[in-house]
Amino acid sequence: MPETKTPMRYQEQGNVHLDFHGATNTTIDYIIAHYGTAVMNDIFARVGRDVYADLRQHLLDGDRAEIAHHWQHFFERENADFSIEITPDEIVLTVRHCTAYHHVLKLTGAVSPHFCDQTIKTNEAMAAGTPFAIDTEITAPGACRQIIRRRT
Amino acid sequence: MIPSDHFPRFYNEVFKFLATQGREALEQYWLEISKNQERHTLELFQTKGLAGMHEYWSHIRDEENCDMDLDLHDDRLELRMNVCPSLSKVLDNDAAPMQHYCDHCAGWIGPIMDKTGYHLVYDAIDRTKPQCIVRIFKDRAKAEAAEKHTALLMDWPGKPQR
Repeated sequence: MPETKTPMRYQEQGNVHLDFHGATNTTIDYIIAHYGTAVMNDIFARVGRDVYADLRQHLLDGDRAEIAHHWQHFFERENADFSIEITPDEIVLTVRHCTAYHHVLKLTGAVSPHFCDQTIKTNEAMAAGTPFAIDTEITAPGACRQIIRRRT
Repeated sequence: MIPSDHFPRFYNEVFKFLATQGREALEQYWLEISKNQERHTLELFQTKGLAGMHEYWSHIRDEENCDMDLDLHDDRLELRMNVCPSLSKVLDNDAAPMQHYCDHCAGWIGPIMDKTGYHLVYDAIDRTKPQCIVRIFKDRAKAEAAEKHTALLMDWPGKPQR
């Protein structure tokens, strides 16, 4: 993992409370049922743009490594099965077992069909207007690839 | 994935949207979260009462890294949140905090207490500080007496008139 000059903006330590993913799943279904998918996507976009303003700023500054650090830190904290490959052209996060998805499945027996939109839409919003795109490919239930590439 | 560590900041964005729809929209959402939380709490609270609540919040104290004093008395459970990790994250945030973020907590706990026959007294003290005092009583009269000594008493949907 490449070195960064400053600590990450958010870098929680200590225990993790995975049941929050259940509340996220409930929230997604509730907001879509009452207000529609566009509103839910707009909330995710606000998370990507405003909550993750620092990650977005790194992309605006041409630094793609900070998001890889973010992924490494938080997927490790949640004990996901994942790997990150960094090449000159792209950074690829491969998630083979997403802790969030599988925890919700264990809790509820059914994951919202829109659950992974939290990843797709926040990634899109973080990258919007920057030199990079972040594409998210769902490869299986609870598995995905997230790819950072410089826009052509 | 929005990490579980960042759920409070996501929650904050949801609240900000719902606040644009009015207080009732927020309260209906808290009721949905309350139903979700019943999965983790209702049977425990119904079968073990205050001891079950102590068990639940002991687990939460550890998993959510709370600086919290939790005392089980014969007549009540008393929770003193010295540093709330949830509001702390919302305040330590590049996005603006929702002014009434704290209200969601009574918003989901209160309806569960009403279902189980216990009486919640939720003192948020000050919405800009990550501290609160929660007391849960078996006896309604004691809850009513405790309400008189709160700094910022929280309501919730369907709260019984005392």
